[in-house]
Amino acid sequence: MSNSHLFLQSGFIRTPLQNGLGRYIPQLQRITLKFCKNQGGSRGVRDFIESDLMDFAKNNPGTVVYLKPRRHRSPCMVAEYLNGEREYLSCHEFSRDEVHKWLSYMCTRSGIPVMRFRKYQHTDYPSIQGVWNPFTHQAPEINLAQYPNDILSKPANQGPTATEQLIEIFKKTQIKDPIKPEH
Amino acid sequence: MSATKRVQQWATLSRMWYLFDAQWQDPFRSAQTLALYLTGQNKPIYHPLNDCGDHVVVINSKEVALRGDEWKKRVYFHHTGYPKGASWTLAWQLHEKDPTMVMRKAIFKAMASNLIRRTNMERLHIFPGSEIPEEIKGNISGQIRPVMPVPKRLTGYSKEEIDNFPKVFDYPNDYILR
Repeated sequence: MSNSHLFLQSGFIRTPLQNGLGRYIPQLQRITLKFCKNQGGSRGVRDFIESDLMDFAKNNPGTVVYLKPRRHRSPCMVAEYLNGEREYLSCHEFSRDEVHKWLSYMCTRSGIPVMRFRKYQHTDYPSIQGVWNPFTHQAPEINLAQYPNDILSKPANQGPTATEQLIEIFKKTQIKDPIKPEH
Repeated sequence: MSATKRVQQWATLSRMWYLFDAQWQDPFRSAQTLALYLTGQNKPIYHPLNDCGDHVVVINSKEVALRGDEWKKRVYFHHTGYPKGASWTLAWQLHEKDPTMVMRKAIFKAMASNLIRRTNMERLHIFPGSEIPEEIKGNISGQIRPVMPVPKRLTGYSKEEIDNFPKVFDYPNDYILR
């Protein structure tokens, strides 16, 4: 984040009313292209209107396109969205392709203001198996355990000690006396 | 947030109280383990900004075992801030003055140096003996396993066990043990 982003809003990724999960509703309500008929700064906008605007309007029947010629003023486009947001973009000295590019950008946006994402993913179901808590995957015996606990007072994964091994070996080598009865 | 989810969140962020028996344990090796519990780094929900450290109750801190001749060689430094205010205390001297101090300093040193270090240290309760106050004992809900096995003393074995222990030979009756 740099100084130019100090006033950038931050938030979480979202979409209006799960748009696109069933049908897709274009969120751009109306777009206004303001331009001058004489000045060179509006040249690209004028070219765009002359050659591409009709196609754009036909392909986006959900969007109202306004054209607003105004004398000796710099060109701009204003996009208004279904959620009430309004986006302004100066088109000064844009080429025809640039106007087309920015128009399609405005057209495909959801209208939610540009923000810095706190997280790049979102889910409505954070955990399928249940959220962890300190007693997850614990043996049920600890419900009744008294502390200090004998089992927990020894290190985990300890094998038999040398003394215990020695006693085991000794027991294996013991030979029973066949004559002497046991007890 | 629904009532169920609210309770789930309480359960997730609830603080545990762990017991740790320092009987014949190396304080510096134990401190590595205990620091994880005090800072909450043993949990899957750990995050540096997430205040999820647990309480640790250490008992028998009087019985900690230092390696080799460390009781005589380890030195704790303190400076009062005034000129000639420096002092050096040997580990055995410090242990005589306060039997919880060696353990406390070992854990403090094992934790990362940051602003929440002292807050996490507040959740450490050290007792020199095996007695725990009732209000703390009631909270304990888990136990941290010791880092090294506690050997059994000869006095801990019964007469029968000692007699039945396999022997290579018997000493003669008139043999004098020095």
